[in-house]
Amino acid sequence: MNLNPHIKAKKNSVSAIMFDVIIALVPLVLAAYAAFGFTAIWLITTAVITCLVTDFLFNALYAKKYNSFLDGSAIITALLLSFTVSPLTPWYVVAFGSFCAIVFGKLLWGGLGKNRFNPALLGREFMTAFFPIMSTAAIWSTNSIRNIKDFHLFANDSLLGMYSNNLVFKTTGALGEYSMLFIVLGGLYLIIRKRISWHIPFTILTIFLCGTWISSAYDLELKYSIAGMVLGSIFMATDMPSSPNGYPGMLYYGSMIGLVSIFFILGNVRFEYLSYSILLLNGFTPFINQIFRPRAWGEKVDYAVKTEKIFLLTLAIITVALAIITLHYYDFIKYLIYIYIVYITFKFNFSFIKNIHNPI
Amino acid sequence: MHILSLKHITKHVLIENIPDPPEFYLPLYGYKGVLKTIVETGQYVKKYELLAQAEDLFSTAMHAPASGIIEGIEIIEGKPHLKLVNDFKETAIDLPLQKSVQLEPAAILEILKQYGIEGSGGARFPTHLKYNLRNEDVDVFIINGAECEPYLTADYALMQNKTEALFKSIISIQKIIKAKKVVFGIEKQNKELVTILKAFYSLCDFPVEIKLLPNTYPQGGELQLIKSITKKELPKGSRPLDHRIVLSNIGTLWAIYNALFHNKPYVERVITLSGEDAVKKGNFYVKIGTPVSHLFNLSASKKERQQIVLGGPMMGKAVTDYKSPVTKGTGGVLILPEIQNEKYNCIECGYCANACPQRLMPMEFARYAKTENTTQLLSHRLLDCIECGACAYICPSDVPLMRSIYHGKEILQNTIAL
Ligand code: SF4
Ligand code: SF4
Repeated sequence: MNLNPHIKAKKNSVSAIMFDVIIALVPLVLAAYAAFGFTAIWLITTAVITCLVTDFLFNALYAKKYNSFLDGSAIITALLLSFTVSPLTPWYVVAFGSFCAIVFGKLLWGGLGKNRFNPALLGREFMTAFFPIMSTAAIWSTNSIRNIKDFHLFANDSLLGMYSNNLVFKTTGALGEYSMLFIVLGGLYLIIRKRISWHIPFTILTIFLCGTWISSAYDLELKYSIAGMVLGSIFMATDMPSSPNGYPGMLYYGSMIGLVSIFFILGNVRFEYLSYSILLLNGFTPFINQIFRPRAWGEKVDYAVKTEKIFLLTLAIITVALAIITLHYYDFIKYLIYIYIVYITFKFNFSFIKNIHNPI
Repeated sequence: MHILSLKHITKHVLIENIPDPPEFYLPLYGYKGVLKTIVETGQYVKKYELLAQAEDLFSTAMHAPASGIIEGIEIIEGKPHLKLVNDFKETAIDLPLQKSVQLEPAAILEILKQYGIEGSGGARFPTHLKYNLRNEDVDVFIINGAECEPYLTADYALMQNKTEALFKSIISIQKIIKAKKVVFGIEKQNKELVTILKAFYSLCDFPVEIKLLPNTYPQGGELQLIKSITKKELPKGSRPLDHRIVLSNIGTLWAIYNALFHNKPYVERVITLSGEDAVKKGNFYVKIGTPVSHLFNLSASKKERQQIVLGGPMMGKAVTDYKSPVTKGTGGVLILPEIQNEKYNCIECGYCANACPQRLMPMEFARYAKTENTTQLLSHRLLDCIECGACAYICPSDVPLMRSIYHGKEILQNTIAL
């Protein structure tokens, strides 16, 4: 029998949500094409095809679901993953990363929505762990293959003009970082369409910028890419399954990502500061959801207990962040990845596979 | 949460009559318990005759909506109904005439009880009990004019067309409860009612106010309405009267008016007939006990995969047996296409939690109802859920939230009973 309600919100299915995210990401693909031409397109296509094929094969084999790869989430993972790499990355590395992102980042958790970590960022860490070239500076020297050097919308002779030009188009950094303008527009589109809310990007960027400002007061020079920060905070930190789902939780989560990325930069994490921070907070998301559960109607909340819980949680997050800085220093992150592979494979075989047809 | 109101379809049509059905199925159940019939199979009954009553604490009564022959008790969807075959003669019994204007509070309560007046918003709590105070003071008497369910306009139509009757009813109730003020809660989308209502303020010797409410769902939920009007956030399960609040629904006021001023037991109410697949749409006087099949035959464009919903589209019940009747708590009958479910995994979007008027986390109910984890269900406060359906309406994955909620509540009931 059909239970209430007997009407549904229109144009609000999962595929509609995914489609909106893809719309927001397409302009960035265009910017990547403008900067590096078919080199960029080739890498992005490799990622998309690998993700779709992996998603299809795995779902068909384990879950007997034959069209779930069409829900659009694999495409988003592929786009986001390729947006974090340099255009000089070999195609097979991207293919490997995409495969790992889908398998270890999503499917072994039981499929769409059940992943604890952002698949694209996880895929990126897999690439770094298995291909040492990914963490060298050489991979970022992209001058030789650049398609068009720069594009001047505004006259380049004033400081303001140069600044504005850089916002519209700037060809340094990873594939998704060339146009701050498009990133922000994509973010605004998603906020208007209610696919993400402003809380996470806003808090990440505010705390992060405050952090850099304070550090500069102490003469510490922080090396970071602002476009990368904005891209990550709008598109990666807001990934629905791996981020908290209430506004207070989101504010906390965003602030902690901002704070922890400052720590990582100060701890000499050169390229991975943002992906480490997001993945770290992803791990804490279930706890954040618990602690920041909204106050139910008419419920009386003991705020002292709640504050204590938040304090302990913060302490735990900072401790883990310091541990990661240490591991990174000794180049041990790859062992973390190996352990993760073993863990998630076991978990899948003994537990998650039983719930593969459960929607939650 | 905002949802499409779809009220424009039936908002400005007058309340019309429809032909009575050849057979009635009178519900023999009320707020609690079962009504006992006092007539026999084969017996001829006149219109307005008392057919069944409950003599327990929550006593209420059921009267004949038409004259005809009783054909026994029939179980429809697991509940007993008294079948009455209409002879279309409309032979009515003579009821003792009341001089309603002079009635004493106790006499009014007695009429409400004898005439089977119940809350018309859905829960069907006996009205005479609601107004029966034990020396409590009442600060505010809230008139629930927030018909927050999409499609439904029956209360709107009454407020628009039967304003004077509603005010007469309020004045009589005020004799009993003596609230310091009366507040109408109506939604902003219906603000044209303000001038209509204001014209009748002069009839009252107590202050009357109108509070415009946001067009969100579920604004007409008791707890949400009380908060909007008095700023008090009552936990679920608490009695409004303990907070010096009495609420009544527009449909109930109309039934009270008919009882006190026209000497009619509760045998008829106003409902909205509407829905995507309905042809004849509007607000109609319909007898209690009219089976939905009768309305369906009058109104539907028959198609595959249709369903009939008793009540609103958000909280109403899809009938499996077309003999299911309109009850005293039915505000509408809708003919809707069956919805297609998408069935993806929960993507933790949090839309359900944002939509939940009780600020719960519905996805957790889906998680823990599956594993029958009562501790988690309780600590996520499943019992505070008002079953409004907002979470399932918005969920992009069509996670079976309502099924989990009902299932979870069942588990909890069983464990508490043990
Ligand atoms: S049905 Fe229950 S859980 Fe769902 S939105 Fe309504 S009150 Fe919240
Ligand atoms: S709305 Fe549906 S998909 Fe989104 S969190 Fe709630 S149950 Fe999950």
